[in-house]
Amino acid sequence: MAVLTVNDLCKTFGAGTARANRVLDHITFDVRGQTFVSIVGPSGCGKSTLLNIISGVETHTSGEISVTSDAGKPARLGYVFQDPRLLPWRSVRRNMLYVQDADDEVTRRRVDTYLDMVGLGKHGDFFPGQLSGGMQQRVGIARAFAVEPDLLIMDEPFSHLDAITARGLRAQLQDIWAQSKKTVVFVTHDVVEAVELSDRIIVLQPGGRIFEDITIDLPRPRRQSDPAVATLQAEVLARLENMKAMTPQVAAAG
Amino acid sequence: MSNPVIEAPPTAPAVTWQEGEVLARRAAARNKRKRLALLVAGWVVLLLIWQVAAYYLPFGTLPNPLEVGAEMWEIIASGALVSDFMASVLKTFAGFGVAVLVGAPVGYLMGRHNYWKAFFHDGVTVAGTIPALTYAVLSLIIFGLSNLGPVLAVALVSTPYVAINVAEGIRGVDQQLVKMSQAFGRSQQQIRREVYLPTIVPYMFAAVRMSFAVAWKVEALTEVFGGTNGVGFQIRNEYQLFNITGVIAWMALFIVFMLIIERLVLRKLEAKVLAWRPEERVRT
Ligand SMILES: Nc1ncnc2c1ncn2[C@@H]1O[C@H](COP(=O)(O)OP(=O)(O)O)[C@@H](O)[C@H]1O
Ligand SMILES: [Mg+2]
Repeated sequence: MAVLTVNDLCKTFGAGTARANRVLDHITFDVRGQTFVSIVGPSGCGKSTLLNIISGVETHTSGEISVTSDAGKPARLGYVFQDPRLLPWRSVRRNMLYVQDADDEVTRRRVDTYLDMVGLGKHGDFFPGQLSGGMQQRVGIARAFAVEPDLLIMDEPFSHLDAITARGLRAQLQDIWAQSKKTVVFVTHDVVEAVELSDRIIVLQPGGRIFEDITIDLPRPRRQSDPAVATLQAEVLARLENMKAMTPQVAAAG
Repeated sequence: MSNPVIEAPPTAPAVTWQEGEVLARRAAARNKRKRLALLVAGWVVLLLIWQVAAYYLPFGTLPNPLEVGAEMWEIIASGALVSDFMASVLKTFAGFGVAVLVGAPVGYLMGRHNYWKAFFHDGVTVAGTIPALTYAVLSLIIFGLSNLGPVLAVALVSTPYVAINVAEGIRGVDQQLVKMSQAFGRSQQQIRREVYLPTIVPYMFAAVRMSFAVAWKVEALTEVFGGTNGVGFQIRNEYQLFNITGVIAWMALFIVFMLIIERLVLRKLEAKVLAWRPEERVRT
């Protein structure tokens, strides 16, 4: 588990030029412990940029950000991307081992454990090209969990999948997460998905300000078919209507 | 069922998945047999034309296929085949090795950086369009009577192919995979080995296939004029002894041998190394 602190964070692409583009505007929040946080917002509002800054791939313009493990050491990060991003020339198992720092017996057993958890225990020797899109994405999820990260970062991991596959994977993700005790930052443009998965939803609005910070207090495990989940989903959606009224481009972008 | 709108799932499709697989495999086998029959027919026609030509041409100009066949058998039985063929094959591969050592870094730079591409582009293109014969002559001028001539000729012919294909391979590298690797903290060396290299391998095979077709002819040609062993050297020997049958026998053996390397060894190796590619699996 990790402690993530974001304090007054701003990001402007092309700062100082004529085409300066402010993407994140004074963002402040922190996350700690076994929390599942979703960052929700319409396309282009800066969600991926925020993740890239958290993971250190992207620099920020001003403000502070820090990610540490609970123990105060530098945090280990795991990623799940929008697409599986597997090496097509390596077997599923070799793909998982590729991002591990060791290739010993313990590591291999751990890799197999997580493959089992996503239901692909028998597919370790398959090439990615032999699996369906949903199965490949499951490998991507298992790969991220198997590095045993303090902080798990997921950027719209289900948005390229069909509704039924995505639904199954959301259920599976919740189960694995419940067992593995990790801090998760999950980006999505799908409010319904966010309510089902999260303890907390941070809503970004176009221009990169935090519009709302909503706590979702529902018992787990949650399932989409659960009426309590559906009710809360409707409620959160209704609250975000306000944002749409304020910023007309949301409806078009979202 | 309580809800009449939901229909029962359709009964099994006309052809199940397994049956489809069997049908496809049978069709593939039929095609293969057909291709094999045509291949044999082609050879038979060729040999017939040869036989007829040998019959009508003045005595001593063109030996008939049987005479050549007997001579080929003699060469094989004498053991000369193995030693001289190995010499030629080794020189070809040595030349190709040099081409990889020179062409791969050039191709890497061309693929990675636009200014290096600007620097090398015209040179590589020109080098690729110069007739192979020119390289053979050049190598002979430089090395004279030596084993290095054929090696250099092959290297000169193959280098542009390698450079161009490696450059294309590098440009084909999936940057998303590179970013994934960086996100998981992989080192530059790991990324080169696990992302860049496997991307380039199919392009390297393309380079081998393209340059091999020219390279082994150039190799033999260079041996004819400046070799001290090898197939080309043997062809010159037989020529100097006015043994036309010997010349043709060596040529024929050479062609057969190179076809075997090209068709069997290289293709099998390629299919094996590229087994991860979905299209490769379908074909085999
Ligand atoms: N590397 C970059 N350079 C310039 N602008 C960028 C870059 N990356 C993203 N942007 C801009 O930042 C904005 C937010 O992008 P992004 O974070 O990808 O949004 P989201 O993930 O919410 O869809 C967009 O307007 C995009 O054009
Ligand atoms: Mg994004």
